[in-house]
Amino acid sequence: MTDQQASPQLEEQESKYAKSARAFRDNVTRDLANSELRSNFRGAMDYLMDKRKAAFCEETELETLRIQCQQIKQRCLAKLPILLEQLEDKLTQNGIKVHWAETTTQANEIIAQLIEAKKGKSVVKGKSMVSEETALNDYLAQRQVECLESDMGEYIVQLAKEHPSHIIMPAIHQNKQQVAKLFAENIEGFNYNTDVDTLIQQGRSILRDKFCSADVGLSGVNFAVAETGTLCLVENEGNGRMCTTVPDLHIAITGIEKVVEHLADVPPLLSLLTRSATGQAISTYFNMITSPRKVGEKDGPKEVHLVLLDNGRSQAFADEELRQTLQCIRCGACMNHCPVYTRIGGHAYGTVYPGPIGKMISPHMLGLEATSDLPTASSLCGACGEVCPVKIPIPKLLLRLRKESVKPKDAAGEVMKGQGAGRSATEAFIWKAWALVHKSSLLYQLSMWSLTRFRFLMPKNLGPWTRVRTAPKPAAKTLHEQLKNRKSQASTGRG
Amino acid sequence: MKHSEKPNIEDISTSARASILAKIKAQVVGADYDKLPQENAFVYPTLNKTEQLAQFYLHLEANHAQVIKLAEADLASVISAELNKRAITSLLYGKNTDYATSMASLAPQLQLQAYDFSIDDHKASLFNDYPAAVSSSRCAISATGSIVLWPDENEPRTLSLVPPVHFVIVDANTLYPDFQSLIEQQQWQKNLPTNVVFISGPSKTADIQQTLAYGAHGPKELIVLLLNS
Amino acid sequence: MTQLNSQHLRQYPNKPKQVYLFGTCLVDSFFPDSGMDAITLLEQQGIEVLFPQGQSCCGQPAYNSGYQDEAKAVALAQVRQFPLDIPIVVISGSCGGMMRHHYLELLDDVPEISAFCERIFEFTEFLIHALHLKLTDQGQPERVALHTSCAARREMGVHITGNQLLAQLDNVELITHDYESECCGFGGTFSVKHGDISAAMVADKTKHLLNADVVQYVSADHGCMMNINGALAYQKQSLRGEHIASYLLRRTQADKAAK
Repeated sequence: MTDQQASPQLEEQESKYAKSARAFRDNVTRDLANSELRSNFRGAMDYLMDKRKAAFCEETELETLRIQCQQIKQRCLAKLPILLEQLEDKLTQNGIKVHWAETTTQANEIIAQLIEAKKGKSVVKGKSMVSEETALNDYLAQRQVECLESDMGEYIVQLAKEHPSHIIMPAIHQNKQQVAKLFAENIEGFNYNTDVDTLIQQGRSILRDKFCSADVGLSGVNFAVAETGTLCLVENEGNGRMCTTVPDLHIAITGIEKVVEHLADVPPLLSLLTRSATGQAISTYFNMITSPRKVGEKDGPKEVHLVLLDNGRSQAFADEELRQTLQCIRCGACMNHCPVYTRIGGHAYGTVYPGPIGKMISPHMLGLEATSDLPTASSLCGACGEVCPVKIPIPKLLLRLRKESVKPKDAAGEVMKGQGAGRSATEAFIWKAWALVHKSSLLYQLSMWSLTRFRFLMPKNLGPWTRVRTAPKPAAKTLHEQLKNRKSQASTGRG
Repeated sequence: MKHSEKPNIEDISTSARASILAKIKAQVVGADYDKLPQENAFVYPTLNKTEQLAQFYLHLEANHAQVIKLAEADLASVISAELNKRAITSLLYGKNTDYATSMASLAPQLQLQAYDFSIDDHKASLFNDYPAAVSSSRCAISATGSIVLWPDENEPRTLSLVPPVHFVIVDANTLYPDFQSLIEQQQWQKNLPTNVVFISGPSKTADIQQTLAYGAHGPKELIVLLLNS
Repeated sequence: MTQLNSQHLRQYPNKPKQVYLFGTCLVDSFFPDSGMDAITLLEQQGIEVLFPQGQSCCGQPAYNSGYQDEAKAVALAQVRQFPLDIPIVVISGSCGGMMRHHYLELLDDVPEISAFCERIFEFTEFLIHALHLKLTDQGQPERVALHTSCAARREMGVHITGNQLLAQLDNVELITHDYESECCGFGGTFSVKHGDISAAMVADKTKHLLNADVVQYVSADHGCMMNINGALAYQKQSLRGEHIASYLLRRTQADKAAK
């Protein structure tokens, strides 16, 4: 460790997402009222669910693959430190430089310095949710380095000064009229036109110039193979290939959980990833990068770097149950099937990762203090767990997060940053009283008796319940009472 | 110490590395990797060559690639005809390749350029002057309709990426049933080149209201010249 | 954690002479008739139904809120109420799921807890797989819809058995409603903690049920029904849902078949 006095320290800032995550309830109110948004999401989710369903017509194949991929990810996580070191060794041997970052600020600083070392001024970005997580664009802007998003959805979202609302289709919250308006207002010479081909060609032409002129290409990584020291990228548009091939400097950033052990682990994961995400057997391009430009080669980046980011993943890792969160391969199927996400949209969460995966991973990245509303914003319907390609038991993990969220302050052992943040003395008291009543048959029957005898006193206003429903009315006699003196009559009739 | 002075990359990375590894290593102390469960892959039905070809063709067509079955001797004439249809009069190709000589026969009607320059001083030209390119392929995969390229000194990575029309020569005899078997049979884990790319159609996106549009950033057209089918 | 269609892997007992009934707290105080009807149906099959008076609640409300110690105390109290080695029939998919699956982990320090959990059966599951129930429809032709709770569907796989029971009624046309497998928005305390999201979900569920153009819907879960029926009543709609036990009883009794 460097001597604290001798070396300067980075000033850590609270992620801007902590602030927006805290505003969850207000965000939800705002977005539930937006009927255009809701209609956009309903249409998009139906489309993606149908696509996925069509790609998985054989249930045995799907279930076999899911179990296999769950086991692959669990094996790779079980060996995580070994694989990360092996990955680093191999990449380094291959000429790819590896950097480590515990926090988002560290990751951003490393990237900023790599760019400054090459006097880079412009970055063209392939799609990287991890770079959204670190808010890289804002950080580089402060260093006078311009970032331009090249994934069509990310480009749209950047133009609109928004964040992605979905991890696969960033602009899913917009319809084509909104995109056409956005282009007309922001792109010189473009007239309002809702023809999607025209819009895409406009984006193509602007970004083509950028691929050609940018100093730096920045990408994410879908799978980092330890065995061979290879970075694998999945895409349909070709901007990923552009960013990782044309500029002289390629910087990749990813989370530490993305490492896989063997090259042979990739095919089943890839098959489930593309089919779960968009119903495609494979993405248009599958790109495998093993080194920078070698002597004699005519193109490719001269330097390739990988930044490995922790940002709370090691916290999830440290708990056997919560570690399953890290199995995620970022397919988006969970949010596509989530009735909550469909109605509130991706922005309401206020976090980089929305939907069920967002609810599971954000508390580790931002702390439970900022995200305590997220684990409870679920009816635990289980639609997500049913489609997760790596069988993450999402409802179970949400229950676990709720438990951590209401832990008393003096609970032994800290599992998560901010645990206990969702605890309220009132609620704790209510459940204690509830338990007292319900574990005693006498107290229970007494309280139910009162409920039925005083049912006319039942309030008509039960807060959120009665805003859209009538209040339920207790019966005149409980089931217990009705059965008390009744001997079960097993009839001699049918049987 | 100045406030604007920031720690350097090495310092940040070294200390982060030590901290991250220490944290995760502490969790796996005493792990017995022999006790990990047996992993079972799904056994896909075996398809014969005809069925594989049909599957390959089906996927490519569904993804808007154009597939032309032809004999090797017809490469030049077919390419020339397709370029003609599109009013394209120039072609970028890989030098020292099997097809290079047959491409040469297309001059001078077509302006031929071998990719024998470094991208460094020719970026703008690469992006603007070449409406079409032709490349070979290493092999192909039928389960997903994918064509495998191993770019090298003769056929750089951008050859199959930047020009908007990409002709790719695929030999049906190099068709593999799936990605798994390809890795196993060719033992890829032993040695991978700088870059491998699987191409399964022209570039596309559904980012605008889930409406499919082709030619996002990669080639707008993928024309597969299928030999020995 | 449970797998989809886990019931296909279950061993079902032969028709027993006795079963326990777990009534659930909701049925107990708000919808006791459903409990009575379930008992009648079982007794008609020649089974003696035991109802331990000491039972209260499966503990799920506290469990889902993260108060697992409190849930555990109540869960343990329930387990003690059902000592005989006979099936425990639960008339709710979510309580059934809680007792069949979640108790394994919640009460993992209780010896023989897995034997207890093995005895838990959701009502429709029990009728089909243990009793091989055969029903004769005495009622008039009508269109109905089936709403299955998410727990019943995904934890217990019993949307299938609910369907199978209704399919036996010759004069009943079972109509699939739009987005049938989508959550109704109840989720226990979710409906109160995130009332606006829950309201949006139940608004859609009622819309889809109304669009199905049925005389009523049927469900094996009173939590969902309290939510959906409450919303329908608030909307001043006449459509309502009934517990499947009551519906089946009514349809198979000639004198009561007419509504």
